[in-house]
Amino acid sequence: MGYDDSDRRDGSAHRAPTAVKFLIAGGFGVGKTTMVASVSEVEPLRTEEYLTVASVGVDDVAGVGDKDTTTVAMDFGRITVSSELVVYLFGTPGQERFWFMWDDLVHGALGAVVIADTRRLQTSFGSIDFFENRGIPFVVGVNCFDGHQDRTVPEVREALDLDPLVPVLMGDFRQRSVSRDVLLALVDHLA
Amino acid sequence: MTTSHWADEPLDDDPEDSVRPYTITHGRTVSAHADLTLITIIVALTSPEEQLGTRGLEPEHRSILEACRRPVAVAEVAARLDLPVAVTKILIGDLITWGIVAARSPAPLAVGQKPDTRLLQAVRDGLRRL
Repeated sequence: MGYDDSDRRDGSAHRAPTAVKFLIAGGFGVGKTTMVASVSEVEPLRTEEYLTVASVGVDDVAGVGDKDTTTVAMDFGRITVSSELVVYLFGTPGQERFWFMWDDLVHGALGAVVIADTRRLQTSFGSIDFFENRGIPFVVGVNCFDGHQDRTVPEVREALDLDPLVPVLMGDFRQRSVSRDVLLALVDHLA
Repeated sequence: MTTSHWADEPLDDDPEDSVRPYTITHGRTVSAHADLTLITIIVALTSPEEQLGTRGLEPEHRSILEACRRPVAVAEVAARLDLPVAVTKILIGDLITWGIVAARSPAPLAVGQKPDTRLLQAVRDGLRRL
């Protein structure tokens, strides 16, 4: 596909922008949608997908197969850079064991922001492991509501056992400038 | 102050509440255009006047044509129509097959390779304007 339809009729596909995406990950209630909302030019949109996953049930006496279909939902936002480039931010669904298998969500992401909450750092472990294993570059953003910081960056880095090259930033992601700076740190990390 | 959002909540798994997902697609579960992604940009190739003549389209097809009069990502179409992504892709695939919607794939990314520097600079410039 791609450009193959671009010469049809009025050449509309020529005018279509290229899209890139970043993932905004992290544990339950950690502020993913908050970050998406703070930089998106539109109210965060939500959509869902059906995923077929291996059933985890062990006493399935009916023997009706080992596949199960589940629904996951995510929020996403958009930043139009120019008529040629649009950036999408996808907040990953809360149920990690499902979205980890959502290839279309993960595939082709330029990079990811893992949002961490210092009171519950362990909720970010799954996302960090996942991006490390998949070779997807990421930065860690520590969400500090109202500037409340009860851990330092070195403490967070150690607790999350991060590669020294992975940037860690702290801030209140309700603020657009904070979310923007985290994304800029991610772009610099990609270069 | 923590804002919890519905997308973080476990979804209701009660099968009594679910509608069979592929009713709209007449049972088809695979898009004719398997390379459609969440951020594939689609755009209608026909004017609204021409679309009036596109008889035989399902209401959802018409809604998609309306949504993509300007370039828009597959994920946005799914959100606007309140349809699952998989179902939306099948319907968009129909429109591509019929030649009334064009699609532009996202910039290709090779695993383990750095993204194009010009692309990154464009993203950086865009973020700085926020």
